[in-house]
Amino acid sequence: MDTGQQRRARLGSAWPWISTVARLGLATVFLVAGGTKVGDLAASGRAVNAYDLMPYDVAKIVGAAQPFLEIALGLLLLIGLAVRLSAGIGAVLLVIFIAGIASAWARGLQIDCGCFSKGGELGAGKVPTYGWEILRDLGFLVLAGILLVKPRTRFSLDGLLMGEVEQ
Amino acid sequence: MSKQGRDRSRAQRIVEQQKAAERRRKVTLWTTIGVVLVLVAAGLTGWAISANQSSATAGKVVVPPTSVDNGTAFAVGDGPVIVDLYEDFMCPICHEFETASGPTLQQLAAAHKVTLRYHPISILDRASNGTEYSTRSAGAAAAAAVGGKFIEYHDVLYANQPEENSDGLTNAKLIDLGKSVGLTSDTFASAVNDKTYDAWVTQVTDTAAANGVNSTPTVKVAGKAVTDPNGGPPSPATLTTAVTAAAG
Repeated sequence: MDTGQQRRARLGSAWPWISTVARLGLATVFLVAGGTKVGDLAASGRAVNAYDLMPYDVAKIVGAAQPFLEIALGLLLLIGLAVRLSAGIGAVLLVIFIAGIASAWARGLQIDCGCFSKGGELGAGKVPTYGWEILRDLGFLVLAGILLVKPRTRFSLDGLLMGEVEQ
Repeated sequence: MSKQGRDRSRAQRIVEQQKAAERRRKVTLWTTIGVVLVLVAAGLTGWAISANQSSATAGKVVVPPTSVDNGTAFAVGDGPVIVDLYEDFMCPICHEFETASGPTLQQLAAAHKVTLRYHPISILDRASNGTEYSTRSAGAAAAAAVGGKFIEYHDVLYANQPEENSDGLTNAKLIDLGKSVGLTSDTFASAVNDKTYDAWVTQVTDTAAANGVNSTPTVKVAGKAVTDPNGGPPSPATLTTAVTAAAG
C-alpha cells in the first residue's frame, strides 16, 4: 500500500536531485550570460548604458563588473558552495534584470536586453522581445527559488564540507 | 540493554548532534564569507581590467588632424545647420540609410545649408568573427580623411560592405579600396596596416555612448536625434524638414 507517509518520504528523497538539477541549470545560465559578455567589456558597458538608467561612467563600471560577477556566481553554483546564499544573490540579480527590462519596456526603449549578448539598441525594423525576456528570467528565478527553499543538493561542496553521507 | 546503557547512548547521540550542528554553523559562516569575497573580487577584477583597457587605449590615441567636434568627427560642407551622423561601416541599416538619404545630405552640404559631421564608431566589432572590422574600417576611414578623401572612401566602403558576421574586408582590400578613390600614398597603407587610428575610433565610440548614442545610424540635426515616425533612420523628406526647421 502506498501511504501518504511513503509518498512524502519519496518526495523528500527526490528533493536533493531536483535541487541538483536546478543548481546546475542556474550555474549554466550565469556562466553563459557572463561568458558572452566578458570578451568585450566596453560593449557590455554600452549595453548597460542603453537602458538609460544611470550615467555612462557608472554604466561602464557596472558593465565591466557584471560579466565577472555572473561567471563567479556560475562557478560557485557549479561547485555548490553556500548554495542558498549563491542562489539568493542570483535571485536578486535576476530581479534587477527583470526590473531593468520592464522599465525599458515601459519607457518604449528599442533595445536588446543584453542578457546573453552585448546588447545595445536594436536596429530598425527589429522588434524588442521584452515579454519573452521577462518570462525567461522568471523561469530562472524559479530555479533560484527552488534552491532557496531546498538548498541541499548532490555532488556539492556544501555536502562534502558538512560531512553529509550521500545516501 | 540496561536502562543505564540506553541513557548513555542517548546522551552520546545528543552530543554528536550538537557537534554536527556546530560544524554546520561553522561551514555556513565560512562559506558565506568565501562566497562574498569571491563575488567582490570578481566584480573588482572586471572593473580593474576595464580601467586598464581604457588607459591602454587612451595612451595609443592618435587624433586625426583633420577631425572636428573635439576630434570626434569629419566635416563635409560648411552650412549653418550641424547634422551629426554616427555610423558603423559594418551596419547594414547604415548602408540602407546612406543609399536612401546620402545624396540628399550631400546636396544640402553642397548648397551650404548644412555641415555634415561623420562620427565613425565601432559598436559591431562582435559581428566580424574577431577581426574587428568595425574598428579597422573606421580607422581606415580616419586615414582616408587625413588624406583628404573621407567622403569618397566612406562611400566606397558602403559600396563594398561585407556581410554581418563574416570576417569583413581584409586590410589589403581596405588599402585597395583606398587606391580606387585616389589614396595611393604609403601613408594611407601604413596607417591601415599599423592600425594608427584604431584607438581613436574606440575613443570616438566611447564619447558617442556618453552622449547617448547606442545604435547606428544615429542622426542628430542641430543636436537633436531625428528618426522616422516608425523609429527607423530618417528618410530624405524627414531630414529636409528637420534641417529647414533648424535653419529657422
